[in-house]
Amino acid sequence: MEAQLRPGAREAIFAQLIEAGRAEQVARRLTDAIILGVLTSGERLPSEQELARRFGVALITVREGLVILRESGLVETRRGRGGGSFVIQADAPDETLLHTRLRGVAHVELSDLAVYFSTIVEGCAERAALRAAPNDADRLSEWLAQADWDRDAGARANAGGFYLELAVLSQSARLVREQVRLQAEFGPLLLLGLVDPSMRARVAACNADVVAAIRAGDGPLARTLVAGQVRDLAEWLHAAKTRIERGGTLHAASAVSA
Amino acid sequence: MLHPLSAPDVPSASPDALAPVASAVGAAFADVFLVLDDWRDRVAAAVPGATTAELDALVESLVVPTLFGGAAPEGSPMLLVGAGFIAAAGYRPGRPAHFAWWLGPLASNPLLGTTLAPTRLDLAARVHTEYLRDFRGLEWYRVPEATGQAHVTGPYVDHLCTFDFIVTLTLPVLADGRMVGVIGADVSVTRLEQALLPVLLGLDAPAALVNSVGRVLISTEASLAAGDIVPDPRHPLAAYDRMPCAGIPFDVIARRPPK
Repeated sequence: MEAQLRPGAREAIFAQLIEAGRAEQVARRLTDAIILGVLTSGERLPSEQELARRFGVALITVREGLVILRESGLVETRRGRGGGSFVIQADAPDETLLHTRLRGVAHVELSDLAVYFSTIVEGCAERAALRAAPNDADRLSEWLAQADWDRDAGARANAGGFYLELAVLSQSARLVREQVRLQAEFGPLLLLGLVDPSMRARVAACNADVVAAIRAGDGPLARTLVAGQVRDLAEWLHAAKTRIERGGTLHAASAVSA
Repeated sequence: MLHPLSAPDVPSASPDALAPVASAVGAAFADVFLVLDDWRDRVAAAVPGATTAELDALVESLVVPTLFGGAAPEGSPMLLVGAGFIAAAGYRPGRPAHFAWWLGPLASNPLLGTTLAPTRLDLAARVHTEYLRDFRGLEWYRVPEATGQAHVTGPYVDHLCTFDFIVTLTLPVLADGRMVGVIGADVSVTRLEQALLPVLLGLDAPAALVNSVGRVLISTEASLAAGDIVPDPRHPLAAYDRMPCAGIPFDVIARRPPK
């Protein structure tokens, strides 16, 4: 039977649904980056055209996403020369927004995310150990020695950077691309536990052990170490969500905030 | 399961048989270095007098046509995925570090998406800002600065702009005998394979192209994948014949025939 719709109308129906979801994805990606401290107060976001190109979405979708952010009070748009969308969130992660974010994601989603992330990182670490040349281990070691774990935002950047370096050493372009995509989407959430100083110390120590395993060419050990690290971060997140769902705070009573 | 080290039915290439492959590799890179030499001379001549905008316009006029196939001989694949001029802070008194770097067409790039037009490396992006802070310590800048010579970095996965398995070529740009920056180009290993695979397949036996630490770029030997290191620790006894390529620190290798 001949369709009575005008050409393109069927596609437009589907496109609209996808686009609607995408505007929320754009908003969520940027919201995570802001409330989890990856983007800082006063920072100017790339232009709408640039965001559209980077996210691979239409300009209208980016504008809709930015409307959601403005309504949440996370960005403000200034007109004229030197204008654009600016982050107005305070530098420290806002507890209320964090609580909302953690309430909005189910335990089952968090644990699935951790399984997927861990699988990727374990594969990267094992391959890195099998494929690293001696000078690669030296470079990674130097990189890690210069990494600062004292503060929250720095620790998050360095933890994410270390996962990316492992992907690079795996020599797989696909793993590097996937690592970048995963960190953009989930990195701030997954690495939330780094607000806890004892977590920062454990991650820093674990990463030094991973470098040693890579130097020794011990793939299984490198794999086990990073799996343990992701499990540690996931358990922290799980416990934090449970505390918040019970009306408590992000931090355990004993932990000292950064 | 490990591959047998001396399968009697697998033929082996003699070192002499590898020579045509080594010379084809050398020739492919010699073509690229010829282009880079020319760019380096023009940019070095312009650095003392040109404004930043004039330098950018010069570099763009040199590299962008090449990234779209302008300099590739008829019928041969275009090897370059990115190219440009990178200068350290103080390359002219009082000027900050400068990136005049362009990327050719990209497919599903995690940061830049899919592009058909040339993309200039965006210095405002955070990741590049962090990168800029210490690029002088990176191999592609540090080695030409220390040696005064052209340098080949990789193959490696570039996690900053191409997100691809590439080789980076850099040449020092001198002003008053001091290195002030590098002219560079990123060569896609995929495209290099497209150019060189016919020559490798011309050998009677499996062979591979490796860099100076033994990292595999292209291989027709099933047990050696791109990105692997030779000697493979799983094959500690494997011995390879080796033929160096002229003008680039790569070797063509083939497993030595069983005695």
